[in-house]
Parts: sequence; C-alpha cells; structure tokens
Amino acid sequence: MTKKIVIEPVTRIEGHGKVTILLNDAGNVDKARFHVTQVRGFEKFCEGRLFWEMPLITARICGICPVSHHLASAKAGDAILGVKLTPTAENLRRLIHMAQIVQSHALHFFYLASPDLLFGMDADPAKRNIMGLIAEMPEIAKKGVKIRAFGQKIIEMLGDKRVHPNAAIPGGMSKALSPDKRAEILSQVDGVIADCQFAIDLFKDYRAQHVEMVTNFADFDSAYLGLIDDKGNVEYYDGKLRLRGGDHFILEDNVAPENYLSVIEERVEDWTYLKFPYYKKLGYPGGMYRVGPLGRLNVADGCTTPLANKEFQNFKGLGGNGVVQGSLYYHYARLIEMLNCAEEIKSLVEDELICGKDIWVKSSHISDEGIGVIEAPRGTLFHHYWVEQSGKIRKVNLIVATGNNNLAMNRAVYEVAREFIKDGRLTEGILNRVEVAIRCYDPCLSCSSHALGHMPLEITICEPDGNVRQVLRN
Amino acid sequence: MAQELAREIRDENIDVRDVSVDGLNLLELIVGYDRLVVIDAIMTEVGEVGEIYRIKPENVCAPSCSAISPHHFNLATTIEIGKKLFPMEMPEEVTVFAVGTREVARVTEEMTSKVKEAIPKVVNLVLEQVDPTNKYRDAGHALDSNIPSNCHRKPQNNACQR
Repeated sequence: MTKKIVIEPVTRIEGHGKVTILLNDAGNVDKARFHVTQVRGFEKFCEGRLFWEMPLITARICGICPVSHHLASAKAGDAILGVKLTPTAENLRRLIHMAQIVQSHALHFFYLASPDLLFGMDADPAKRNIMGLIAEMPEIAKKGVKIRAFGQKIIEMLGDKRVHPNAAIPGGMSKALSPDKRAEILSQVDGVIADCQFAIDLFKDYRAQHVEMVTNFADFDSAYLGLIDDKGNVEYYDGKLRLRGGDHFILEDNVAPENYLSVIEERVEDWTYLKFPYYKKLGYPGGMYRVGPLGRLNVADGCTTPLANKEFQNFKGLGGNGVVQGSLYYHYARLIEMLNCAEEIKSLVEDELICGKDIWVKSSHISDEGIGVIEAPRGTLFHHYWVEQSGKIRKVNLIVATGNNNLAMNRAVYEVAREFIKDGRLTEGILNRVEVAIRCYDPCLSCSSHALGHMPLEITICEPDGNVRQVLRN
Repeated sequence: MAQELAREIRDENIDVRDVSVDGLNLLELIVGYDRLVVIDAIMTEVGEVGEIYRIKPENVCAPSCSAISPHHFNLATTIEIGKKLFPMEMPEEVTVFAVGTREVARVTEEMTSKVKEAIPKVVNLVLEQVDPTNKYRDAGHALDSNIPSNCHRKPQNNACQR
C-alpha cells in the first residue's frame, strides 16, 4: 500500500511540471517523480520544413537560451551542407554563444538562486526573491543586471534581437561585427570579468559558512557528460563528447558528436512528457548522467582561460577524487563558467579577426543527415535532422539539456524528500528544499518556482484511497 | 508603428526600438535614457477597440501586483526596480500610449482596421510628446486615463530619448 504526496504547480518548463512523492507502507519515501505535463511537439511539426529555416524555428523552443538552439540547428545545417566555417564565422558564433552563457548564468544566479543563499532557504518567501535582493542588497542585484545586460547586448549586436536572434545560417553567419561594436564590447568586458569574480567570492563565502550543508545537499553518485576540446578543457561550442563516472573513471572519451547515439538512448515513461536519456552501456535507469555546469566541469581537465582555470582547480579539489557531486555545487560551477565565458569573450574580441567580412561558405551539396551538438547553458544539446535532397526535413531528433538531467532531477527530489519525510511526517522546510534542489539544475521552470510573495509550491498528502489528509503551502 | 516613428524622428538623441520584452529585459533597455515613451496594446473592460490612452505607468498597475517571476514584472515594478538600482540613470519621465484592442494573447499578422487607423494618431502623439514644438502634423488627442489593475498588456514599441 502506498501513499501519494503531490507538489504542484512547479510551473514553466515552457509549460507546467509537478512533483509527486510516493510513500511506502512505513511512510517513508519510495519514489519521487518530477513530471513535465505539457508536450511541445517541435520534433513533429518541424517535419516538412526546410533545413535552412530550422535555426529560426528551433530558437523558439526556448526564450531563455534561444541562441543555443539557433546555433545547434545551424551546426546541423553546416553538416548537411558539408561545409567548414571560415575562422571569422566560427569566432562570431563562439562570441554570441559565450554571451548567451554569460547572460543565462547571470540570470540564474543573481535573479533566481542567490536569494536562497543570501537570505537562507527558510527565509520568508516574500523576501527570498529578486525583489528582496533588490531591496536589501541592491549592489549585488545591480551586478547581476549589468552582467546580464552585457551578454544580451552582444546577442543583439550579432543577431539584431536579444531574444530569438537572427544571426547564424547554415554555412556561417548573416552579419559581421562592426569595429565600433567591437570597441564597445572591449570597453566593458574587464568590468564584467571583475563582477563575475565577485559572484564567485559570494558563493565561496556562503560555502565557507555552510560547508556541510553545501556538500551534502542532494549529493548522489552519477555519471557526467559534456564536450571537451582537444586538450581536455571545457568546450561550449564544438569538440568531442566525454562521459565520466562519479568515481572519476572515464567511461567514454573523444566521441565524435555525430556518434552520440552510440552512447545515449532515450526512455519514455507514461507519467511525463519529458524523455529520459541515459548512458546505453549502463542501461536504464542506472545509466543516469548529469549535464550542465557541474557535468562540464566534472568531465574536463581544465578551463581555457587563466582566471577560470584557477577557480576550476579549486573546484576540483572539493571532490575527493576530483568529481564534485553535491547538487548545490552546480552554482559554483555555473559561476566559474560565467567567468570562463567572459574571459573568452575578451579573447575573441581582442582578435581583429572578429571584424572580418568573410563569414559565409556556399555549398550546393546536401547530405541526407546532419547533427549539431553544442553545450547550452543547461547542458549538452543535440539537434539531429534527416533531410530529403530538396532540403525538406524528414525527421527530427532533439535531446535538450533539461531532458539530459531528467533522471538526475528526479533523483535530487528523491534525496531531499527522503531526508525530510520520515514515518509519514513532513519536516518543516521540505517545500523550500525541493524547490532549491530543482533549481540547482536550472530548468526553465526555476523562474516561476520563485514567485514574489507567494510560493507556488504545494504538498498534498493523500491517503491510499486518494482522500486528502493534509495540504501544505508556503 | 516603430517603422513609422523611425522614419519621422531624425533626432540622433532619440532611439526608436521595436521590442517584445518586459520586466528586467525592459529595464536593461531603458537605463541611461532621460525620457521614455512606451507604445503598447491594451485590453480594458469598458474601452473601445482603437481608443488611444495616455497613461502614467504607476496608473497601469500597482508595483508588483502582477509579478509572478523575474520575467513578468509589470511596467510599474520595472520602473520602481530601476529607480532603486540605477537612481541616476533611469528616465525621469515615462509615458505610455496604449491602443485599445479586443485580443492581446493571440498572435496574428494583421491588425484590425480600428487599431490600424490608430497608428498615425499615436505616431503624432508620440512626436508631440518627444518634441512639443514639432510642426510635422496635427497631434490628435488621447484619453488621460487610470487603467484598472486587471488589464492585459503586451509590450510593443518604445521611443527613448537620451
């Protein structure tokens, strides 16, 4: 006999989600399920479209990281055309991509996650949000706005719009960067790098005061997936896939992105629309892996830029074997990446090549298949298209970052629930912690789980016959 | 409307932006300007389609009343946050021109005829707002209004003056 606890709404993963906790006869947690209850359907309705339309169509999948879908789609188009980009075009794509990671990570840390850390997880939800931060710590909030605005500005420079930009096309880019815009980026980038370092110090101060909690919160063993460059450094735009186990053992290395199906399979469950990717050789669900900032830093051997690499070495030291598994460390990894990308922006823009005019390669060749893989802010993103010779799409497969983390998010909720539900009794604070655990993974729903003045989470405890025994709301 | 304004306004101190943003995304765009004019669509309980309103943001909604996430601060909240974070850099004067519509949630490629007819009138009102001495056209008129807090709005265009 089982009892069911439902936490809902956990809204906006570009739709709606909810959490159900199933108890066993003893009143302890048997299973935790994170449901995504809205189907998006992009894979289906893109069929019949032309592959060169896809960068603009698929960017609409997400309003937070449209650049990632835009670029992964353009990369799939490059593969269909069989072209290699010009150096300027590749650098422009890297620039807009780094800008997106900077703005997305700043949004997440300053607007969504930092109130949990700065006010404490048990602080009044009316205060524990961006408005509370603005009221009580405006200097911190201001840095968040400025870092994010810097990234958004670059996206707009290259893609004309801050959301859903029109920048990349199969074979290159549609627009060059003018020298005055390059100068504008250069004039601001050092300030942004300093603000990224400030954010890292903020997290490290918090960790120093809560070492045990930060280390143990939703801490569990899993594998990790991410792209690496030819030296084993964290790579966001291109590179090869590496899968590392929680024991530091490398399970797969230097896998060409187009061979991703040799490593990953997907499972469908009847209680959620979000699929469950897993590592094939370990099976389902044992092949759970994590992506995103924690995944990328755990698989890599270093960062490409000096300040970020120094922090990376410090990060690696937190895991006994060089693998850091506590979910709250996602925030630290995210901030290191934000610094890494800000430094990368500086490096890209210091090179005059970025203003080159040779940004597009023509091709009349059309392959029947193309795969584009990129590291989106939330993790590895796969776009796989099968096309006809006319360029019409026959079939689409998308594996998005939040999907890659699906098993892990379920596990994180389970870990938190197990700690806070004993013998059928809920300990005070479970709502906040379930929310914080999900937020570590930065799925799109993290925005709305941070309501202002009213937390949209609710736990309903149901008797085995379905009758509601207790309802808890924040 | 933004295209029409961009054609008419030749002052390099005035930027015309066509955006679909709100909240903190909007804040990033308006910091650093002296004056802000927002042009928007509005759905009211009693108003007519095509009716033009001139509104102060604090009269659209009370700060925070419709804020459910950092992506959806209403305009009043956005202005309030901006004044706290960037007190010296926010526009001192903010005006909203809103055109009454029957539908704000459904996206179509065509405007209704009544909304379309309002475009030149709003353009004239904005021209007068940013430059009261302008002699381009007859400025027309707008209702100076307080709008109930349960209205629906969809950000459209902004004219910002440095």
